[in-house]
Amino acid sequence: MKLNEYLPVPAAIKDIVDETPDTKTFILQIKGRSNRVFKYKPGQFLMISLPGYGEAPFTFASSPSKDGKFQISVRRVGFLTNAMHKLKEKDIIGVRGPYGNTFPLDKMEKKDLLFIAGGCGIAPLRPLIQHVFSTRGGKNRKDYGKVEIIYGCRMPKDRFYKKEIKEWMDEPDTKVYLTVDEPDQTWDGACGVVCVMFPRIKLNPKTSMVFLCGPSVMIKSAIRDILKLGFREQNIYASLERYMKCGIGKCGHCYIKGKYVCTDGPNFSYTQMKKLGITS
Amino acid sequence: MGRLFIAKEDIQTLIERLKEGCDEFIAPKKEHLSDVIFADTKEAGGELIDYEGNSVISPRAFLLPQTEALFEIKSIKDGKFFPIPDKKKRIFYGVRPCDIKALILMRSFFLDEFVDIPYKQKLENSTFIALSCNRLCSEEAFCCEMDAGPVAKEGYDLQLTAIGKGYLVDVGSEKGSRIIRNNKKLFAKPEPRDEKEALETLKCLAKGCKRIDFKKLAGMMNEDKIKPSVWDDIGLRCVVCSGCITLCPTCSCFSIADRVSGDSGIRLRYCDGCPYSGFTRMAGGSTPFPLHKDHIRRFFEHKLNYDVGRYGIPSCVGCARCINTCPGNISIRKFIEEVAK
Ligand SMILES: Cc1cc2nc3c(=O)[nH]c(=O)nc-3n(C[C@H](O)[C@H](O)[C@H](O)COP(=O)(O)OP(=O)(O)OC[C@H]3O[C@@H](n4cnc5c(N)ncnc54)[C@H](O)[C@@H]3O)c2cc1C
Ligand code: SF4
Ligand code: FES
Repeated sequence: MKLNEYLPVPAAIKDIVDETPDTKTFILQIKGRSNRVFKYKPGQFLMISLPGYGEAPFTFASSPSKDGKFQISVRRVGFLTNAMHKLKEKDIIGVRGPYGNTFPLDKMEKKDLLFIAGGCGIAPLRPLIQHVFSTRGGKNRKDYGKVEIIYGCRMPKDRFYKKEIKEWMDEPDTKVYLTVDEPDQTWDGACGVVCVMFPRIKLNPKTSMVFLCGPSVMIKSAIRDILKLGFREQNIYASLERYMKCGIGKCGHCYIKGKYVCTDGPNFSYTQMKKLGITS
Repeated sequence: MGRLFIAKEDIQTLIERLKEGCDEFIAPKKEHLSDVIFADTKEAGGELIDYEGNSVISPRAFLLPQTEALFEIKSIKDGKFFPIPDKKKRIFYGVRPCDIKALILMRSFFLDEFVDIPYKQKLENSTFIALSCNRLCSEEAFCCEMDAGPVAKEGYDLQLTAIGKGYLVDVGSEKGSRIIRNNKKLFAKPEPRDEKEALETLKCLAKGCKRIDFKKLAGMMNEDKIKPSVWDDIGLRCVVCSGCITLCPTCSCFSIADRVSGDSGIRLRYCDGCPYSGFTRMAGGSTPFPLHKDHIRRFFEHKLNYDVGRYGIPSCVGCARCINTCPGNISIRKFIEEVAK
């Protein structure tokens, strides 16, 4: 009989990083020989279980690594995520996946790339950015054109992956723009939503590819403004969030217009999003 | 195997023998309020060999139960889940053709791409004996229009059709022929006039029925050609009782949750669905389907539009359970008639 898709396999917590006041990054590794879960691609997600607390989808927040370790960044918003924040190193959680589609990796080659993230929306884009920069070996970088990253947060302290983002700034042909909605004394950078940074974009809108993730209001307004700059619908991709319970196209929660965000997505081109009725 | 005949007095014998070979014999039964429901009658007895109308709740409830334990949690601390396999052999007796058609749809849904093992296990250990309809089960039923009745074309192991002195028997699968082989003496060749009798009844039933143009209907919904006021009216009438999704033979949505006491417990799945506003609510409280009318629209579009795109046929079989139960008189039938007009 085929594998029971709903059965989580145990994974050990190898390390925990305090990312922001309400977010922790967990570095996980599957226990035993069940290495099925490692063959994931940027943009995919997995289901995380804590017995007694339930199950929820989380995006892979790091690109696949050889040692089988992978990361998820978890924002504390409710029952399960609160319980997860109480976990410690060496604790065991259940995982199953990977699920969902990836970004159009082939189509990206040689192209200039624009990444737009809001809040925890940086998590699904991080494996893709890491893939482009390919921190291990640096082989990939020359396969792609210029890179620009726009990352907006509510407050300076809400920014994820602070150290790594500094490293991104030093990559060749790369620009990183950071902005916050509510500045404090520590902040001397730009203020406002991600769209305030758009005038600084130097990439050729006709040929560049755009990847977005963030709250749905941000996605909507960013797409609206990015289209005005001349970027092409078919080159704009967004990673969508929907309530999900199964991850495998069965429970119906994520269903929109005949598509399952969990299996047909969660990454959609704007052309596809329009067909699904998700527009600005 | 050609058509066969079984006499009225032999059916009970057949049922008794079938009961010996299964763990649960799921058959129509009158419950306390005289409604017909499906229940396990293996030990309890009381199954109806023939019955009027259809069951209140579709037999789907045995394959995708209202709540079902998926995994055992032996200890919260160890992070492990232990599957709870369901290996029960079930025989379903007296299933109406519309519900058989619904099973075909549910099978393609649960067994494609990612296979749903809990459903598959139960389905594959089940035998389905259909009972075709001699009259419409309710005034609202529109199975003929939806190409789902009064006789099942496929999807059954055996199908019984009542005639005066007994039942004609159609064999639809290897499982079905095995039942025949094991009970050879109970079955005979039908006489030509028996078949004629059944045909006459069928003709009468199907008289005046107009097949719904599924493709046209789906096309109209797809192009958003339905007057917004139609959805507004439907939204006003929905009181979120969730009767429709509970009774419908093709509703399949669910949620998963853990129930624990102390250090141990179970992970269960339970039926859930689009009428509830929490069904699509996300972290932060936003939902892509905020209004009642959005929920019912989702229900209708899933069955009548998107599934036509996916499977070539709608996933409404016209059993009218949702219509008969709706306190707000929302009628998918009227909706279809109005739109497809
Ligand atoms: C594809 C995908 C990837 C995601 N990736 C991440 C990630 O990398 N990091 C992260 O912090 N969060 C991520 N989320 C969101 C995360 O799944 C929810 O925050 C989590 O389910 C909340 O669980 P809870 O038990 O703590 O909250 P609850 O106590 O259940 O509820 C808090 C809120 O979360 C919503 N919620 C509950 N369950 C789900 C669910 N299964 N899907 C969506 N919303 C839900 C509830 O409606 C409620 O508004 C992702 C969601 C999706 C769909
Ligand atoms: S939608 Fe209504 S009429 Fe159609 S199959 Fe479901 S319960 Fe029956
Ligand atoms: S998450 Fe269950 S269908 Fe998509």
